[in-house]
Amino acid sequence: MKKIKIILMSFVTLFAVNGCDEEDFALSNPSGLSPETYFRTEAQVQSAVNAIYANMQTIGLYTRLYFFEMDNMSHENAGNPQLEADKRAFLEYSFDASHPPISWYWDSCYRGINKANFVINNEERINAIPSSLLSDEKKARFIGEAKYMRAFYYFLLVTRFGDIPLITDIPDDGSGFPRTPREQVYDQIVTDLNDASQSLWEKDRTENGRATQGAAYALLGKTHLYREQYQQALDAFDDIYGEYSLEDDYFANFREEEEFGPESIFEVQFDDDLGNSAVWNSNSSGEDANEVTFRGQEYGFNDWFNVYPSEDLLDEYEEGDIRFDETFYTDGDSWAGETVIRTGPAPSPVPEGETYIPLERRAAWRKYQNYYKDVNEDQASGINMKVIRYADVLLMMAEAENALGNQSEAIGYINEVRERAELDPLPMDLSQEEVFDAIVHERMVELAGEQVRFPDLVRWGLAADYLSEYGFQAGKNELWPIPNDEISANENIGQEDQNPGY
Amino acid sequence: MCFLCCGFISAQEVITGTVTDANGPLPGVNVILEGTTTGTTTDFDGNYSLEVEEDLGPDARLVFSYISYETQQIAINGRSVIDINMVADAQSLDDVIVVGYGTQSRAEVTGAISSIDTEEINSLPVATAEQALQGRASGVTVINSGAPGNSPAVRIRGLASPNNNDPLYVIDGVIAGGLGSLNPNDIENIQVLKDASTTAVYGSRGANGVVLVTTKSGKASQKAQLSFDSYSGVQFNSNRYDVLNTEQYIQYAREISDPVPARITNPQYADLLDNETNWQDELFRTGVLRSFNLGLSGGSENSNFRFSGGYLNQEGAIVETEFERFNFRSNSNFDFGKLRFGQTLNVAFTVQSPERADGGRSLIEHAIKSAPYLPVYNPDNLGGFQGPNSPVDGQDAANPIRVQTIGSAVNKGVTILGSLFAEYEIIDGLVFKSQAGLDYYKYNNDTFIPSYNDDSIGSTGSIAFAQITKNSGTNQSLTLTQSLNYKFDVADLHNFEILALAEDQRIDSESLDANSQNPISDEVEQVSNNQSDLSSSSSEYRRVGFLGRINYNFDQKYILAGSFRRDASTRFGANNRWGNFWSVAAGWNVAKESFMEDSDINNLKIRGSWGTTGNDQIGNYRYSSTLVTSFIYPFAGAALQGTTAEGLPNSNLKWEEVTMKNIGLDLGIFNNTFTLSLEYYSNRSDDLLYELPLPLSLGYNVPTIASNVGSVETNGFEADLGFNDYEGDFTWSANLNLGTSRNEVLSIGSLDQVQGGFFENEYLTRIAPGEALFHFYGLKTDGIFQNQAEIDEVYTANPDQTVVQPGDIRFVDINGDGDITAADKTVIGNPYPTLTMGLNLSAQYKSFDVSLFIQGAYGQDVYNTNLYDLEGMPRLFNSGVAVLDRWTGEGTSNTIPRALGAPQNLNASDRFVEDGSYTRLKNLNIGYTFDENVFGESLSNLRIYLSGQNLITLTDYSGLDPEIGVDNVLFQGAGAIGIDRGLYPQPTSITFGLQLGF
Repeated sequence: MKKIKIILMSFVTLFAVNGCDEEDFALSNPSGLSPETYFRTEAQVQSAVNAIYANMQTIGLYTRLYFFEMDNMSHENAGNPQLEADKRAFLEYSFDASHPPISWYWDSCYRGINKANFVINNEERINAIPSSLLSDEKKARFIGEAKYMRAFYYFLLVTRFGDIPLITDIPDDGSGFPRTPREQVYDQIVTDLNDASQSLWEKDRTENGRATQGAAYALLGKTHLYREQYQQALDAFDDIYGEYSLEDDYFANFREEEEFGPESIFEVQFDDDLGNSAVWNSNSSGEDANEVTFRGQEYGFNDWFNVYPSEDLLDEYEEGDIRFDETFYTDGDSWAGETVIRTGPAPSPVPEGETYIPLERRAAWRKYQNYYKDVNEDQASGINMKVIRYADVLLMMAEAENALGNQSEAIGYINEVRERAELDPLPMDLSQEEVFDAIVHERMVELAGEQVRFPDLVRWGLAADYLSEYGFQAGKNELWPIPNDEISANENIGQEDQNPGY
Repeated sequence: MCFLCCGFISAQEVITGTVTDANGPLPGVNVILEGTTTGTTTDFDGNYSLEVEEDLGPDARLVFSYISYETQQIAINGRSVIDINMVADAQSLDDVIVVGYGTQSRAEVTGAISSIDTEEINSLPVATAEQALQGRASGVTVINSGAPGNSPAVRIRGLASPNNNDPLYVIDGVIAGGLGSLNPNDIENIQVLKDASTTAVYGSRGANGVVLVTTKSGKASQKAQLSFDSYSGVQFNSNRYDVLNTEQYIQYAREISDPVPARITNPQYADLLDNETNWQDELFRTGVLRSFNLGLSGGSENSNFRFSGGYLNQEGAIVETEFERFNFRSNSNFDFGKLRFGQTLNVAFTVQSPERADGGRSLIEHAIKSAPYLPVYNPDNLGGFQGPNSPVDGQDAANPIRVQTIGSAVNKGVTILGSLFAEYEIIDGLVFKSQAGLDYYKYNNDTFIPSYNDDSIGSTGSIAFAQITKNSGTNQSLTLTQSLNYKFDVADLHNFEILALAEDQRIDSESLDANSQNPISDEVEQVSNNQSDLSSSSSEYRRVGFLGRINYNFDQKYILAGSFRRDASTRFGANNRWGNFWSVAAGWNVAKESFMEDSDINNLKIRGSWGTTGNDQIGNYRYSSTLVTSFIYPFAGAALQGTTAEGLPNSNLKWEEVTMKNIGLDLGIFNNTFTLSLEYYSNRSDDLLYELPLPLSLGYNVPTIASNVGSVETNGFEADLGFNDYEGDFTWSANLNLGTSRNEVLSIGSLDQVQGGFFENEYLTRIAPGEALFHFYGLKTDGIFQNQAEIDEVYTANPDQTVVQPGDIRFVDINGDGDITAADKTVIGNPYPTLTMGLNLSAQYKSFDVSLFIQGAYGQDVYNTNLYDLEGMPRLFNSGVAVLDRWTGEGTSNTIPRALGAPQNLNASDRFVEDGSYTRLKNLNIGYTFDENVFGESLSNLRIYLSGQNLITLTDYSGLDPEIGVDNVLFQGAGAIGIDRGLYPQPTSITFGLQLGF
């Protein structure tokens, strides 16, 4: 009996001694903050707002691909042999729903939207912060920034994909949302921008890089214009007409040293001094230090030179348009190397003081290049990308006025832009159609390589006229396909919901 | 008195003698007069002296017995000196083998266990024991990599999960992260536990099988022994892709480029055009292998010890790849009767120079694509290397020699692995054991890349500043185990063993990553505050388990076993924190039945097991939500931090559970001259843990939700066949093992598919119901379109398309919709072998020994992305010679398309999938053992050998190595197995070694 007692006691003791407390297992992540205790200080609100912007600096958008996608689809670019297949696909419209750049674009935008929703949906908590810690004016501005950025990303999405999931909450399960008709998405954009324009600050009151009241009005006007709501567009633009002005020097818009000048309305910020360690891995997340863009290296004639300006674009410029020389390098130009640029077959040896554009191209991109100061580009260009500048707004106002039958007002706005280009003003007696053609031309040359021509051609219904010779298919390529990555994970979007033709 | 005295003495007789084995005197052997309690053991020198009564009958015999040796009964026949030679028992039924949390007589085993004889692998020039496991055990698939210091992928019974398929490693009872820090020379034996009855005791970690390693220790009552093992040799890789030479390349570039690169047409650049660089020859080299091991062991009556030190240095077959390891080990045991203590300690320092990559591409990819006319080095360029200039050369492959050799990349590690235990026998058969185990790992991974510019007139491959990266961290696992084991019998026939155990494991991890740039100097390899990026993190993981196990047998004939384990893990939320795992098993030793007594069959056992194990291998804290603060955006010239919600937590996350069924049969004939083991297993994994992709539109920073989705079924057969001839001067043995594995995904929750294996903007692998895990998914090809009419036949629904032209690949319109789209993708391969094989032949004739080891894997496909580079022709790069035979007009080729053809030519397709089956002469070892008398007293053993590894590979695979291991360079993740993106091929090695015993 004693033996059995010992045995039983031993086993009981073993488990008793080794019992454990359930609470020991509820660990919290020592590397992360808890959402329950967030939004209590100005710094925290500020930080949540900052994060929304970071998704613009991603491979799918302004770091690496957005300029290729738009400039290639519009055929402002032509491709050199070394252009990689994923970017060449935009010249040939050969992308499909599995094309990663399209997925990254979609992903980057929606990640930005989620971050904006994180701020907007916590408005109550933000407003609960005592005014002594965070003024009501600042609270409103933070919410305004989030709404502007949400509208910004939705605008990028709705123009490329049409009907898209419209998400304004923080999703609490993983099933996904169905596509929302594009007009409803536009309505949300308009609502957000109207709100934002009431609470955002003017440009001279905010830090460079933040959304401003002017940026909200400009995007609001642009949204109405895309919806052909011309009067509403004009109403929005009127709020900033005269608040901005054109740079005297067209090229100042593209010099790193003169960012946020009088013409600048909204820019994507890049800064070579602030870190580029994540530049190769700048996936859609926007995480880590990646404050630079590949734009210079990718287009630069003395560097990767993957693309060059197309003949169609070069031929569009009028004689004497100073923007031609400001936008492109051609034979006889000088650049940072203090050498003279030459085109055509290079002699051997190349004379001292001359540099030939490779591949015997007639011209190379100058806009957004660092060659005005450096001989070579690298993957770390710090030149900001201009999303909307005042010249764009003037031409959009012209377009709205013209559509409403006010040709003389329209011509006035166009001539403001032409004057800076040192071109003769347009005569005042042009027909509505002639004014429209003038706008098509003026936007092409003024905004060359600024990612507006392709969406312009699509909304004007002219894409097939200009682009079908390159493979553009009307009724299909106006929109991109919904990415397969979305369809395969979203229970509420199926293959049958895909855009036509994909 | 004298008479009595004399009479007493005269009634006794002393028998003396020496017991030896192949290696010399054998201490500790039991010597018993048969049928009596009279006995002794041999001393340090193998000598014994036994007093026996005079006038023993003619049948009197001495019984010599010792663990793992055949027991011998020797008739005394009136002799007073009896010397005998003990013979090692190859597969004694009475072997005691290590199982989870204990040991077991082989006769009583009911589960599926593979034992690996480390004698066979001791002289292999491998850095880690996992490498040597390849082909040694049925059902254990090892996929090696050629990179020195990289651990291979070990898969037990195939793939069961889309998540983590690594087995659990237990070293001397301590749960460890792997075998990489162990010196293979220190290993006594390895057991691979494969079924529920052996793995369920590990509960939530047993799902992928368990590798149990026992290290060598001293033996009680053993004279101190010193051993010295060493080998040195070379390794090299002679396989090359056949690429264009300079003349061919220039011609090819002229033909396909428009315009032709200026390097070729413009005399200005012609000075670099004269070279004939074979980039692969520049990349590969002959590396030197060296290893030294010193072991010291011994023991007294109540203690034993073993100390060892080892040094290993392996230079890889690719330039500047190297692995170096210093090992120290101490194992000791102390016996105070009822109380016993012991310890193990392994300290390892490792230094690895890893293979590097550039732009997400491997060295081999760059070596294939680099222009052969460019020189490797150019002293005029910053950094001293030459690379292409994109606009001038029309291509931009990075100089692979610069990628691999510029600056430095070093991974340093320190591992401390050890245990302390105490055992107390409370009453007869009832033993309490307490053990503390530590697995501590610290790493410092540093890279330093000075500024360089591979072409002074451009900047295609350049950085203008030095880049310094220092990543470091520690990982510390502490496991405390308390157990009670009660072993008793009832009426000598009913044998019971009951185990109760509690285990508590805590893992703490910390990391600190820092990098910065230095624009003013290439001299300083330290991080500074210029363009710096800092981050640190830490995490905790705790697991507690309670285990009960009962083993019962009736006279070793009928065996029953059962276990139950209850585990809690901090990786799961309160709803599902605890999991239960159980197993039952039964066995019947038919050979022990009386009706088998006179049979030649000495072993026949039928056994079966059924039970569950778990897998909790998913990230920490996935059940809770946190914020992430690593976003940065510049405002007004300053980089400001941004914060948002990390992701969507899953508070219902729980274990992945595997239900395993196994039936087995063991057969031994003619005293185990012939042996056969057969197994059939069927495993089903449910509630698969998987990071399920969320719809991108939810926009969460972590785009997946940790989930329990779906099920996978895996089944297969295993067979082990052995022939062992131990008699006479010439002895030989042959052992063959075969294992099959087939898995099928039964479901993945609400999803139709999950994609993985990203390459050139496309997914290559997929998980989908009804198919094997990670199968290759793409288009099927059907030759080349020779003319427009053939295109029109296929593109009936898309006749206006102009992208596909004659000379492009004709894909099969699987869905018959008259167009080629992603909807035509189908299963084009399975990366996992259906059959693996190992064949070991060894023979010994007098002093010579030879062993031959052949290993193979069959039925697996490889997605060879090198073909994309060799034959793809997406744009100008150097390519394989096959492009010389590309399509240039109707009827010119039906396999290689036109250059720069339709982008679809490069889509994932069976064009890039090859049969990866192979049979390999993995090892040939020829040894000679010198007569112990040649070198006198002090040297007891001397063997020299010559060993060759990877000598012959028979395969249809066109790449450098059909064995596609873990990609440690491009980090493709779990969903990317079997994709050869220019993986480090396994080299051939030749080594010479010697083994000395004192």
